[in-house]
Amino acid sequence: MAKLLEVKDAVAGYGRGPDILTGTTLSVEAGHVQCIIGPNGAGKSTLMKAIAGLLPLRSGEIRLHGERIDGMRPDQILRKGICFVPQERALFGKMTVRENLRMGGFILDDPHVLGRRIDFVLEAFPILGERAAQSAGTLSGGQQQMLAMARTLIVEPQIVMLDEPSLGLAPQIVEQMYDIVHMLREKGMTVLLVEQNAVVGLSNADRGSVLDLGKTLFEGPASDILSDPRIQELYLGKPTQAA
Amino acid sequence: MADFIQIIILGLALGGVYALMASGLTLVFGVMRIVNLAHPIMIIAGAYVSYWLFRLYGLDPIVSMPIAAIVMFCVGIIVYKLVFEREAASAKYSEMTVLLTFAVAMCFDGLLGTAFSNTQRITSPSYATEAIFFGDLFIPKGQLFAGIASLTVIAALVAFLQFTRFGYAIRATTQNRDAAQLMGVNVGLVSIITFGIGIGLAGAAGALVSFVFSFFPAKHWEWIAILMSLVVLGGMGKLAGAILGALILATLAAFVSTYIGTTWSTMTFFLALFVILLVRPQGLFGDPLEES
Repeated sequence: MAKLLEVKDAVAGYGRGPDILTGTTLSVEAGHVQCIIGPNGAGKSTLMKAIAGLLPLRSGEIRLHGERIDGMRPDQILRKGICFVPQERALFGKMTVRENLRMGGFILDDPHVLGRRIDFVLEAFPILGERAAQSAGTLSGGQQQMLAMARTLIVEPQIVMLDEPSLGLAPQIVEQMYDIVHMLREKGMTVLLVEQNAVVGLSNADRGSVLDLGKTLFEGPASDILSDPRIQELYLGKPTQAA
Repeated sequence: MADFIQIIILGLALGGVYALMASGLTLVFGVMRIVNLAHPIMIIAGAYVSYWLFRLYGLDPIVSMPIAAIVMFCVGIIVYKLVFEREAASAKYSEMTVLLTFAVAMCFDGLLGTAFSNTQRITSPSYATEAIFFGDLFIPKGQLFAGIASLTVIAALVAFLQFTRFGYAIRATTQNRDAAQLMGVNVGLVSIITFGIGIGLAGAAGALVSFVFSFFPAKHWEWIAILMSLVVLGGMGKLAGAILGALILATLAAFVSTYIGTTWSTMTFFLALFVILLVRPQGLFGDPLEES
């Protein structure tokens, strides 16, 4: 399978602080859901910010379809086809749901296409449709996450990056969020997600990556990671079987 | 009763002009977190543009308002590129802008003072000294026309922010800069253009100020506190708040001027600033402040 996104030896950190990514390597194949797991402080969210252009690399490179995208601005990276939904969801709290969706399609030049896609999202997610005229800041946490994820459908990017989509949500709502993840994949998008709840994330993914101290320790099929006893012990919170 | 209504009419007419003076200041703060202490001197610069167009070519200040706005828009773009752009990535950007804009204000004060001296000036179109009478009530035509022109410009600004693609980008950047970038907004470009628009609004306000008040370069020191009180009352960065703040305080100042004395009128703004900061520091429309 062709590599859609590749990160090579990425080193990055915040301000003048220490390196958080210390030579991270990642490869993402087209059409897959790939889940990045790792302990707190492993650099998962930092990696996503670096790919999205919110954090410059100190060294290393990021390529999309072989073209270097590190050093580009976030808006340029979005135009290349990578859409990022950060932990804090990046909503505009004082804008209505419809206006947030319109902002989601800011890079679309054709207003008719934009209008059609907004209508599609509001029909596909009836809760959002009912609240189209309501300020995004007044939605519940689950509805906000739904809006943030549904908004990615407006631009139909090649890659959707989701940082902790289940954070702070009830289990029933988490299931709905992963339904949206699968919907994104069915529409031909590649999904790269970071998940603190590693079992949930990997169970819904085709591939997985294990990150620790800013380095990639393992990358492969999600089922292999879920069944690897060493990874189970270190990152999935399951004790190893006594010999 | 007639006096009471008269004062409100005068206050609201002047409030319209103050609203335009404050709108650029609050827009720039909302999008870029720049506390632009140079805003009032830019208003004075705009007033000089209209003043000289009136003196040299007889151009009415309301007609020359778009010219003053365009000239000052260009000045704003140049100032932003020279002074602010390279500092935009700094972690202490917002604090630094207070000092930087103070320095810009000093420079423009010196430049305008050298070029035009500190002589008081005023443009004098015929309507500036005329009034419309309704029985016992009167409305000075100058203030009325300035108020209407201000509100027209503000309405155009609101429509631009509400209905255009670039307006969406400005509003999005105001609310959440990182999120706006992730939606594809080039926030660097938005910042430059917004700063230009803010200074352009100062230019437009200057054209109206040129026949409502007498002006000279050093007058901007007095206006800094006045404009800050309007913006702080409404909530920093909130356009609707700045407009309401302007109308409220201008009317209040008109009452103080009538019943206490003209010299105390300006004190209304200073006192309001103190009271707002003590009682409701986020202003009428501002978000609650985070406790440190």
